[in-house]
Amino acid sequence: MSERLRNLITVALIAVMAVALVVLVATNPSDPDRIQSIGSRIKCPVCQGESIANSPSTMARDMLDLVAERVAEGRTDQEIINELLGSFSGAVLLDPPASGSTLVLWLTPVAALIFGVGVILWWRRHPPQVTTAETDAGTRRLAPLMILAVAFGAIVVVAGFFLQDRGGPASGVAAIDTENLDDVSNETMEAVIAANADHPQVDGMRLALAERYFQEGKFRTAFPHFLAVADSTYASDSQVVTALVRLAGMAWEGNGEVDAALGLLDQALAVDDGSAPALYLKGQVLWCGSNAFDESAGLFQQILADPELPDESRQTVQNDLDAVNARTACT
Amino acid sequence: MKGRNLRWLGYGIAALTVAFAVVLASRFGSDPGLVDSPLLDKPAPSFALSPLEGGDSVSLAELKGDVVVVNFFASWCLECRAEHAAITSTADAFADQGVTVVQISYQESPPASLEYLELAGRSDAAHYLADPGSRTAIAYGVFGIPETFFINEEGVVVGKIIGESDALILGATIDAIKRGESPGQTVTGDTSQQPEG
Repeated sequence: MSERLRNLITVALIAVMAVALVVLVATNPSDPDRIQSIGSRIKCPVCQGESIANSPSTMARDMLDLVAERVAEGRTDQEIINELLGSFSGAVLLDPPASGSTLVLWLTPVAALIFGVGVILWWRRHPPQVTTAETDAGTRRLAPLMILAVAFGAIVVVAGFFLQDRGGPASGVAAIDTENLDDVSNETMEAVIAANADHPQVDGMRLALAERYFQEGKFRTAFPHFLAVADSTYASDSQVVTALVRLAGMAWEGNGEVDAALGLLDQALAVDDGSAPALYLKGQVLWCGSNAFDESAGLFQQILADPELPDESRQTVQNDLDAVNARTACT
Repeated sequence: MKGRNLRWLGYGIAALTVAFAVVLASRFGSDPGLVDSPLLDKPAPSFALSPLEGGDSVSLAELKGDVVVVNFFASWCLECRAEHAAITSTADAFADQGVTVVQISYQESPPASLEYLELAGRSDAAHYLADPGSRTAIAYGVFGIPETFFINEEGVVVGKIIGESDALILGATIDAIKRGESPGQTVTGDTSQQPEG
């Protein structure tokens, strides 16, 4: 075969391939092909790195059905993909978007290609003129640096893996500190308590809500919450005492029930015999409700014996003790 | 190429390698489902779905004016079971405050969801709907369940919780919406993707 004939055959083959390529590109793909093509670009949201075209999951099949429906409606590929992007964001694309932080994934191969071509061209124009000994010496100097760079890269990768934010509260209300209930409405706290009535940690919220009602003067609403805390098997001693003292206060000041109040305060003192609020209220009830001056004075003195009693409280209790000792009527 | 140039070439390649590793490492282990929903601050996708038992469909349009809590659930999802009591009590507690809870069955047959609800309990104030073909789940971009969307009185998606909710988070989110705020997206924990997994 002559050289001319071989060249002609080569040119003819190239021409045939070019025409075939043009035909392939220019021809509209059939609908099933389009569905598969779009499906292969969409990531199955409930799978690991599979497209909806390849995944057997129900969600993937449902999404592919949606794509087929949109194709039948005459939507363009981009319109269909945009619809899914509007629901799922760019995370639904198998190929990362060529923008933002993932842009580097697209640019790096291009940059590497340009860089490699540049190096080859440079190499060809400036052939090595160093001796083997010099090259070996340069390589030896470079080797530790390369090892260091690779090790550093590995450390960064491992650190990145472990330091990754694995989905803690991102924003919004989950960032609410459950200990800080200032911004939580009474209705919300009621709903939380209702949903978690048997939860060991609900007593804190229940007490806070009851205290809120108490301060607002809604004693009837506060009452069942204080009672629930007082009866709770999960509540701390401090919570039980606080609830019992409030119940005693409401029984006495609200209804004038001296005996009921004293009974509740004795329960509180059985839990914590040094509770200053319980001792003080019992002293007040005995003084004002029963004129039991001596018993009242004994309780006030017990409070004053505590060296850690705040000065302001000490002054109040001392004033009451002086009044009791003087047999002054309760006001 | 001279030794000095070769050295600088090595430095360049090493620097590029490290930079590339940093970029890749920053994406390691990230869950694509945790990206901010593109629906936030946009009109909520409409739906008109039949109750699990059948009967007249319930549409989002007819609930406009209420704060609507849309929760995707299934019996095979452990996190959904864990939050179910809170969803139910929230539906009850806020029923007379212009809040409607809609629970949409995800990747499960209506009989299976109904059997689960029979045991787990349900609120008279909530709607329990089927989603044939997952069209509503797709429209809301559900990556896994439970996912709970909050739609304000104007029909705009203003909040989303990914993972298990509790009554405090649900109530506080509703409170915030009632105050005119947009609580945004919150991730509370893991989600389940499909029955097999």
